[in-house]
Amino acid sequence: MSKPKIAIFEFTDCEGCEVEIVSLREKLLVLEKRVDIVNWRLGQENNQPGPYDVTIIEGTPITQDEVDRLKKLREESKVLIGLGACACLGGIPAIIDTKKRKEFYKKIYGEKYKPRGIDAMPLAAYVKVDFLIHGCPVNNQEVVRIISELLAGRTPQYRGYSVCFECKQAGNECRLLNKKPCLGPITQGGCNAVCISGGSPCYGCFGNREGAEVKNLLKILNKITDQKEIDRYFSMFLNRTKN
Amino acid sequence: MELIIEKKKIKEWLVVLGKDFKVVDTRKKVLPPKQYFFPVKEDLFSFDLKSKKLKTIDQSENILLLISSLNKLEAMTQLDEIMEKPQKDFFYWQKRDKSVLVGIVDESIKVPYGGDLVLEKINQKEYRTWVLNSKGRNLLKDKFFKKVLKPRTINYPSKPNIFKEKLLDSELLAEAVEWSWQSNHKIWNELAEKCLGCGICTYVCPLCHCFSMEDQVSLDNSKCFRCRQWDACTLPRFSQIAGGHNFHKTIKERYYNWYYHKFVRAYRQYGKAQCVACGACKDNCPAGIKIGEVLKEIVKDYKKR
Repeated sequence: MSKPKIAIFEFTDCEGCEVEIVSLREKLLVLEKRVDIVNWRLGQENNQPGPYDVTIIEGTPITQDEVDRLKKLREESKVLIGLGACACLGGIPAIIDTKKRKEFYKKIYGEKYKPRGIDAMPLAAYVKVDFLIHGCPVNNQEVVRIISELLAGRTPQYRGYSVCFECKQAGNECRLLNKKPCLGPITQGGCNAVCISGGSPCYGCFGNREGAEVKNLLKILNKITDQKEIDRYFSMFLNRTKN
Repeated sequence: MELIIEKKKIKEWLVVLGKDFKVVDTRKKVLPPKQYFFPVKEDLFSFDLKSKKLKTIDQSENILLLISSLNKLEAMTQLDEIMEKPQKDFFYWQKRDKSVLVGIVDESIKVPYGGDLVLEKINQKEYRTWVLNSKGRNLLKDKFFKKVLKPRTINYPSKPNIFKEKLLDSELLAEAVEWSWQSNHKIWNELAEKCLGCGICTYVCPLCHCFSMEDQVSLDNSKCFRCRQWDACTLPRFSQIAGGHNFHKTIKERYYNWYYHKFVRAYRQYGKAQCVACGACKDNCPAGIKIGEVLKEIVKDYKKR
């Protein structure tokens, strides 16, 4: 059996998730024995055109040209996977305040400028995405888990638990109990609660957990802080998520 | 005759025990002692593709746990019972058999309901020894313990715990909880508007022991592992089966299930509630749900019905 052909592409983003794949180091070499990475601009010089068995896409399209390329990649790929918060949720580019953006257009490019930019949306707004590897950046062990699952011929599963599961394992004090905002309870686990362990809140970069009790969390957040701050939390990664 | 150890000598005694055991102080840990015998996540066995052989993974070690709460000691006794029947949980006992539980308790004890050796504070400087079995007896080193006929004893009362008393009537609790669901008690709607379903209550509970299984293939395709990890009945996947059907579709059903298992099913299966009133669930619930108060209200209304 020939090795599955994998391609890794990116649209607008910081490429941090691809760096996570690079930082798999020895594991990447083990993986290389089982798959052919036939196209990866960031990782290698020789790149081939499609079709591909698995296409991993980081970032999100913000021009029509990028949207067209995404649609073409979808046609050329058996399995299409979103990598990281920008691809999965719209991510950092989706924080943008679209009203302010128009003002900046005028200020920077002048009155006559015709905007070409498209508001950042998750990949799923344009094409069918088979699986999302969440995170800002992704946890590279999750990347290994999901690729191992695909190679074993199985359908990968999302983490069914909240960040709280891993946060308790890390021995952290609960931010909510300490009257500090946190989106951990509604957010899918898999990140090892790195942000909270490092003293930051959870902003939900892994996306909502299946069956997330968003309304119930909002009741708690409303007691802790004001609406402006709550909006800020929910606009960091969840701007394009319907809650 | 009482066997006494001076407070200042406990540290030294533990250093000596450290030669035979890995000493783990659980007193400030968020997760309960169960985690050492029923780890959050563990590989149970592996299958080697080349040799076609199954291999269990022995992660046991001689471990000594220091536990400060009588409730948590009692919970370990109860968890042992749960892991004993109807079938012995091999992987739990593999680790549990090699362990010793030492209580260091700062309140006066009538009867310790768990542990192998319990040290009870009797005055500012001394602890009295309760030896519960031979495992505990083997830990006594003459150098650190002395026999005293009538040691100076101060009473250190435990914090009042009304809920602990409620647990004594497990039958009433079981009836009341089941009645509350069947009679559509309003409290379950109220709780469904509060619970985040995060699962923290089950993780911090010294008795919750539900898990899910996951098979993993190594990246080089040489081995496959079966892992088990803690699950929580408040999470949607818990009650989902192959084909996607879910027995508990709403948080209301899922949250009730936690009470049902602890207070109704456990009573029928083991004759008592799977709760020691330690309060860990209440203390750690980010939604501020007070489980003891919930039960109090249910029992009150059950009696009035």
